[in-house]
This record gives sequence, structure tokens and C-alpha cells, in this order.
Amino acid sequence: MVFLQDLSYAWRRLRRAPAFTTLAVLTLALGMGAATSIFSVVDAVLLKPLPFREADRLLVIWEKNRAQNRFRLFVSPVNFLAWQQRSRTLQDMAAMQDARLNLTGGPNGHMDPEELKAERVSASLFPLLGVQATVGRTFRPEEDQPGHANFAVLSHSLWQRRFAADRDIAGKTIRLRDQPYTVLGVLPRDFAVLESGVDLYLPLALNAADRRAGNNRFLTVFARRRAGLDEVRQELEAVGEQMEQAMPVLNHGWRPSVFVLQEELVGNVRRSLWVLLGAVGCLLLMACVNVANLLLARGASQRKELALRSAMGAGRARIMAQLFTESLLMGLGGGAAGLVLAAGAIYVLAHGGPASVPRLAQASLDLRVFAFTLAVSVATGVLFGVAPALQAVGGSVTAVLNEGGRGGSQGRTARRVRNALVVTQVALAVVVLIGAGLLMQSFLRLRAVDPGFRPQSVWTVRLPLSGGRNSTPERRIAFFSQLTPRIAVLPGVVSASAVSSLPLNGLGTGATFIVEGRPAPSAEQRPQALARSVMPAYFQTMKIPLVSGREFTNADVMPAPAVVVVNQTLAHRFWPQGGAVGGRLTIEQGGRVAEIVGIVGDVKSEGVDREDWPVIYSPYAQSPISGMTLVVRTAGAPEGLVSAVRKTVLQLDAEQPLADVRTMEQVVNLAVAEARFHTTLLGSFAAIAFLLAAVGIFSVISYDVNQRTNEIGIRMALGAQPEEVRSLILGQGARLTVYGIVAGWIAAAVITRWMKSMLFGVSPTDIWTFGAISILLAGVALAASFVPSRRAMALDPVTALRRE
Amino acid sequence: MITLRNVEKFYEGGYGRSYVLRRVNVEIQEGEFVTIMGPSGAGKSTLLSILGMLDGAWTGEFEFHGNPVHRMKPKERVELNKKYIGFVFQSYHLIDNLTVYENLDIPLSYRNVKGSERASMVCDTLDRFHIVGKRDLYPSQLSGGQQQLVAVARAVIAHPKLILADEPTGNLHSSQGKEIMELFKKLNDEGTTIVQVTHSVDNAGYGNRVIQLADGWVVSGGSEGLPGTAV
Repeated sequence: MVFLQDLSYAWRRLRRAPAFTTLAVLTLALGMGAATSIFSVVDAVLLKPLPFREADRLLVIWEKNRAQNRFRLFVSPVNFLAWQQRSRTLQDMAAMQDARLNLTGGPNGHMDPEELKAERVSASLFPLLGVQATVGRTFRPEEDQPGHANFAVLSHSLWQRRFAADRDIAGKTIRLRDQPYTVLGVLPRDFAVLESGVDLYLPLALNAADRRAGNNRFLTVFARRRAGLDEVRQELEAVGEQMEQAMPVLNHGWRPSVFVLQEELVGNVRRSLWVLLGAVGCLLLMACVNVANLLLARGASQRKELALRSAMGAGRARIMAQLFTESLLMGLGGGAAGLVLAAGAIYVLAHGGPASVPRLAQASLDLRVFAFTLAVSVATGVLFGVAPALQAVGGSVTAVLNEGGRGGSQGRTARRVRNALVVTQVALAVVVLIGAGLLMQSFLRLRAVDPGFRPQSVWTVRLPLSGGRNSTPERRIAFFSQLTPRIAVLPGVVSASAVSSLPLNGLGTGATFIVEGRPAPSAEQRPQALARSVMPAYFQTMKIPLVSGREFTNADVMPAPAVVVVNQTLAHRFWPQGGAVGGRLTIEQGGRVAEIVGIVGDVKSEGVDREDWPVIYSPYAQSPISGMTLVVRTAGAPEGLVSAVRKTVLQLDAEQPLADVRTMEQVVNLAVAEARFHTTLLGSFAAIAFLLAAVGIFSVISYDVNQRTNEIGIRMALGAQPEEVRSLILGQGARLTVYGIVAGWIAAAVITRWMKSMLFGVSPTDIWTFGAISILLAGVALAASFVPSRRAMALDPVTALRRE
Repeated sequence: MITLRNVEKFYEGGYGRSYVLRRVNVEIQEGEFVTIMGPSGAGKSTLLSILGMLDGAWTGEFEFHGNPVHRMKPKERVELNKKYIGFVFQSYHLIDNLTVYENLDIPLSYRNVKGSERASMVCDTLDRFHIVGKRDLYPSQLSGGQQQLVAVARAVIAHPKLILADEPTGNLHSSQGKEIMELFKKLNDEGTTIVQVTHSVDNAGYGNRVIQLADGWVVSGGSEGLPGTAV
């Protein structure tokens, strides 16, 4: 009953001061909107358990090689089978291999060809994860056998996109790799293990007798543990040792590398998400501080009323409860408005965030997020209500009634609290702004890195020539030999070529090699390089500089002597004195001995912030792999280029899908997408922090000028010139800002260390960023103090002196 | 020292001008102790504000120490105030957030007095007014009489030639009031010109002339013989 009375009273009071209420609720909404949206991301990515049975017991197992300092490399099938056979601490195991294949037909015959992202998986994967098909079923063990594995389980999105969500799809036949496959079922919506966007799953059908099983590594292994993590690691280490003794050529120095699945998924983004959550925490605190300041300012004017209530018998607890009800109501109002802001922000985050953040697309405004906002609303209501409530009940009733609501030690304390709040707010703003400043600098430096090629006006199209009719090298060579000259003569095209793996698209295929004429290192010490197959005119099309020697020509075909072009990193490492051109390499995969005919500039393969790898480029006609990407340099942006390319491709092969049509600039942008994501988010938070700090300083100084009207009048009567009054007010703002900046520096110096892994080319305690942000904030504080100082200057001393 | 000729102050209202002061002619010589009296609303405090250069919105002529105030810019008037005038108010008007020492320092800080000199002037004044023990207290920690004592000390610290006091004992009990008035008398004896506004006949007794105001007019004690003087 009392609470309802307080509630009704609080509501009436808030309605009576619409400007104050609107400002407070909007301020809180900004803070809570930001906090809620980032919490929804953290919740989706880090906190929600994976949608698998007893997900905390799921492991992902790679192979590691300490000598090469690599801890997450694919697993050799023969090792996987050994672990499966010998482990007692693991309950179930399954393996997976990435694949891409072309869909060319559905249950009703021909379909527009499309390259699909697929995973070949053990039949045991789905029972291991505890996932069941929503339509039909998943694989049975007998369907995961070499030679009898033409079965497919569709992802929910492929089923909807290409098969019109046909509920009777199970048992029907589709054409993949020019072969018929039987669809067994459809997986639940958003099902993903390590990577999202997988279109379909096929049986792995591992053949232990296959030679590839014994000398290659291409599997990712999943397992469910029945013992503790340390026990699993110990046991697999022992199995690894046994395998090293049994197969020294394959396994010398190699061991299993065990990780918890959830950790594996979020390991890379965990820190950055906590940093973002910390930033919105700062914003929320700033919003609370702002509202607390507004309430304090308002509280001063209502002290007389509260003192009267107190004189009439209201206890301190009763008065505090009344004030808390008001702040709670405001907190809930801010929460509700924040929820609306968050809904929009979450949509943008889930749809526009980088693919490298797992499960980001699943961020949504659900019950958990709602509960979070509610809890935060109540907590902030209490938080920003404490100082005003304490101030309200802190003074002597008679003193308040006698002093006319002004001055006295109570006034001094309240002023100190307000000043402390402004200092806190500036300090928080400094932390958020420095964080954003560091990320922005880091992003600019990332963008300034020379990727080694000129991405402008280059279009790329993936042309997967996998399986079926494209299985022979001759056909692939013929296809690209005919295609690239035809593309090169299309209107607006300057040059055209093709490459097996685009720059900035990952490490891709690698190869070990030996420099001919030099002692061969042992198998595990052999140097590795990235292997790329390219068509003639590739370097010219990408504008990768030729440092010495020559590019490939149409004469570099199969019967001609094997040739390669290497990048500068490889040339410098193995021919530091020069003379790489003319040198010969024995490339182990494919067993070719090739002469180096040219050296080209380094190109970023994995990411702009990563080291340059040695790269060996082979002419496509001598190394015809299945998946190639067409690269086309154009003059300007010719209209209809994509359809002209598509037409040309389909003229050569009507069933050839085109995938990933994009410009090279998009590829570059994608490579910095995560950095852009962090920078944009923290930049937005910094803008809000900036605004809140400016509003905070402005409102406190404004309020202070109002409170000090009498004092200013006295000072004028004692001889202060208007300029001296201005200096007094600006000085106060400046002093608080300097304290805030110093506190912010100290906090930022500690906190930004956490951001080290998110930064590129800039130190977490970069003095320039710290300095620039401080100057910026000082400028804002000065501007925010300027308006009230002008008001103070214009005060009429006679009127000011009359005011009590 | 002070000559006012036909000084008027008015506000424009819906029904025409509302006069606060009308054709005021007043002359005050250096070393005088003048009391301005009159009923509430007579314009006493307004006249004091004009004399103290706090109010610049009036018409007529005002000469102060040979300076034509009516022709001066606001900034120049403030300079004149700083050089010659000290103020004492009814409600003390000490700055709550500053200690006694800091309150005394304020007028000096606006008069470009060097730091070391300021410190010695403040210490001298604390000594002279016997308030050394209160130097670090805040106004709220002092009694009304002590606060007014500090206010008087602040008014005289920069050695003004004129002290303007607006009901200086209005908030004090009689013994405290007497103490303050004795202080004014002493200052006047030492050569400081004093103009006070008061309702108290006893306080007026400390001065040597009374200017009576009523409804904005000088009723008596202004400057006999000057044109426009109402008697």
C-alpha cells in the first residue's frame, strides 16, 4: 500500500517535470540500449550453452607440432582411427572434412548450378552432438562406408532456399558432383559446429586403406569426454607417442591437441567482447552519474519539502524509500526506452557483424536479454538514486528550514559529491574514448598496410570445377585456357586470369619443398610454402610487381619444363644474396622439380596484420587443381560485366556454377571486417560517451552557476569584472576535467592492456592517443562550461545579491 | 566626494514608467558618515546600489571623486568600485564555500595585489578584527555577529575611501549590532566615508547626517540648494 502510494507520488512528480524526466530517461535509454545490445551479443556468443547435449563435455581435437609452433593443425585419418580405437577417456568420436561441391539437379531434374559449402562427417557426429534431423533422419553407420556413401543431409537454409522447404524431401535424389545423392533429412535451423553457413553434410566414408589416410592431415575431430580434461590429454599424449613410434615419418614430433569445443569457438572473440561489454558498462555508469547529478540538482530544490515531511514525522527510511521509488520508476522508464533502442541495434549487429564472430547472427531480444535489462534497470535505479537519497536525508531539518535551501556545510558536501560525479564521468569517458581511439588508429594502420596488389577495379568469381566431368586435369586446363582469353576481350576488361586461392582468403594449400643442390632437411624440418596455381597474366591483372625474371606464359604447359615463380619472402630466405631465379625446387606434393623463372612481390595471404609466408606460384597448366577463382581487371566499372562473364562461362559449360562474385576491394574489406566491427562499435560508444560527458559537465556547471548566483553577485559587488567571473566558472569546469582526465589516464593505462590482441601497430598505452583524447575532452569541457559562464557574466549583481 | 544630480531610476511597465528614484540630488563630502533612512520601498537600497556602481541603469548625473560616472562604461565603473568602495550587506553575503581567510582574500584577488602582499594584508586584517582564530572556519560555523564582523573586515581590507552598508545590523541582536556600529564609527574616525542604509534611529545616531527617502524622492538631508531638491 505504502509502495503504491510512493509509486503514484513518484509518477506525479516525474510528470510535473517533463523536461527533467525526458532528459533523464533518454540518458538512461542510451546507456541501457548500448548495454542491452552488447549483452545480447555476449549472451549469444559466450554465455548461452551450445545447442548440443551436455555441450560442456564436447571436445575438438587437432594435431600439434611443438617444433613448428603450431597447435591447431588438421588430423591424419590414420591417427584419428588410432585415437578412436585406443582411447578409454573418450566416449564417442567423429571426424569432419571441409568440402565444396556443385549442385546441378534436384528431385525434379535440372537446377541452376550452385557451388555448395559442405562438410563430410562421420555418421557418429550427429549422435555425438545429440542433434536430430527435423525432417527425415541423419546418417546410419552403414551409410558412412567407402563406395556406398552417396547420401546427403541438408541444412535448414539450403532446404528452404533450393527445395522450397519440401517436407517430403527425405528419400528424394539430388545431383551433386554430377552424381545422384539421396537426401536423408534436414537439420535444425542454425545448426553449425565450428563454421556457420554450411549447406549440406555428406558421409565422410573414411577408408583406412587409402594411401592418403596415412600421409595427409585433413580432418577435424570431435569427441565427447567421459573423464576429466587432464586425463583425456594425458591419455591422448600417450597414444600420440605410440603413433610416433609406429609411424615415424608421419608422426615425428606430432601429438593430439585437445580443446573444449565452446572455448575453441569463442576463444578469439572472447576478449574483444568483454572489452565491448566493459565499454558499455562505462557508458551505463556515465548515464547513471548524469542522472544522479540531475537528481542531486533537483534534490537541492526539494530539500525544504523533504525537511517539512521529516518535521511532520516521516522517518529517514520512509523518505529514502520514496526517493528510491522515483529513481526506480525512472530506471524502468530508461530500461523500456533502452530496450527499444537495443532491438534496433541488435538487428544491425546480428545482420551486419563479421562472420568471424560465431553465433553472432543468433543474437536476439529474448527473455534472457529482457531479464538482463530489467535487472540493469533496477540496479541503475538504485545506483543513481543512492547519492540524492543520502543527501536528502543527510542534513538537520531545522538547518534546512532555516537556511533557505542554500549554503551551509550541507551545500558544500552536495557540491563535492556533484564534482566527484563529474570527475568520475570524465574519467569514464576518457577510458572509452581512449579505447575507441586506439582501435581507430589500429584500424587506420591496418588499412594502410600494402596488401601487395592493387585491389581497385578487380572483379573475382569462383569457378569450382569439382568432381564429375571435371575430374580430369586435361579438361580443367582446357576450360580455363579457353575461358580467360574470352573474358579478356569482353568490353571494359583490361586483363583476366585465374588463381587457386585469392589473396587475403586464408593460407589455403601448402607444400613442403627442398632447394635442389642443398642438403635436404629431415621430413619434419622441411620448409613449407603456400602453393598457388595461376593462369598467365595473373600478376599483371592483380598488379603484383614482378621483381625479377619473368611471369608465366602460354608456353608453360605440361610437357614443357616445370617452372615456378616465388615471392620475395621465399627468395630472400633461401637466396639471401640474390640469385633465386634459375634456382630449382623439389616440391614434395606432386613430386615436381621446377625451375624458378621469376620473383614477385609479397602478397598478404591470411590477413593484412599477418606475417608474409613463402609462396610458390605454379602455372595452372602444370598444376591444374579443381577450384579456381577468376580475376578480372576492368577499366572503371563496366555495366553488365558479371552477366557477360556468366554468359561466357555457361557457353563453355552450361552446368558450371559461379560462386562468390565480388570485387577485390570487398575481399580486402572482409579481411578487416572484425577490426571494422570493433572500431565501429567502440566508436559509436565513444560518441555516446562524448555526448554524455559534455551533457554531464554542462548540466553540473549550469546548475552550479544557478546555485552560485548569489556568490557571483557578491564577487561582482567586491570588484570582479565579468571576465573574472567567466574565468571562475571556466576554471571550475577545467579543474574537474583535469582531475577526470588524470583519473581516466590511470584507469585507461591499466584497462587498455586487455586490448593488446585487438590492436595492430599501436601500443595500448600510445601516448599520442592518450594526449589527443585528453585535448579533445578538455575542449568539450571548455565548450560545455562556456555557455553557463556567459550566463554568469551577464548576471545583474543587484538581482543576484537579492537572491537567497 | 559624491554628487548626484537629477538621478532617476524607473522600470517600464504595462501602465507606463514606475519610478524607484525621482530627481535625486545628493552631495556627500569625504569623511562624512551619512545614513539613508525611509520606509520600505522608498528606494534606499537602490540608491546604495547606484552609489556602489552595482546598478548602471539610471539617468541623471553622478560624479564620484571627480569622475563623471554617468559617462563611464560598465568596466570603468567596476574599476572605480574596486579602487574606492567597500560593501557591507544586511545578510553578510560571505561565500559559503570559502573559509574566513579566503573570503577576506577575494577583494584583494580582484585588485591585482601580489600574492605575498595579499597574505600579509589578510593576516593584518584578521589581527585587527580579532578573528585570527576563525581564519579556517566556514561562514556556516560562525554566529551572525561574527559573520558580519568578517563582512566588515572584508569591506575594509582593500582600504576603501567609501564604505556602503546596507542594513548592516539588520540580522544581528542589539549587542552584536552595537559592536558593528562602533566599528563603523571607528573607521569613520580614521577617515573612511560611510554611507549606511538603516531603519534604526540608534544606528543613525552614529552618523552625522540623515538622508530621508520616501517613494523615491529625497525628502530631507540631500543637498540643500541644488536645483530639483524636494523638501
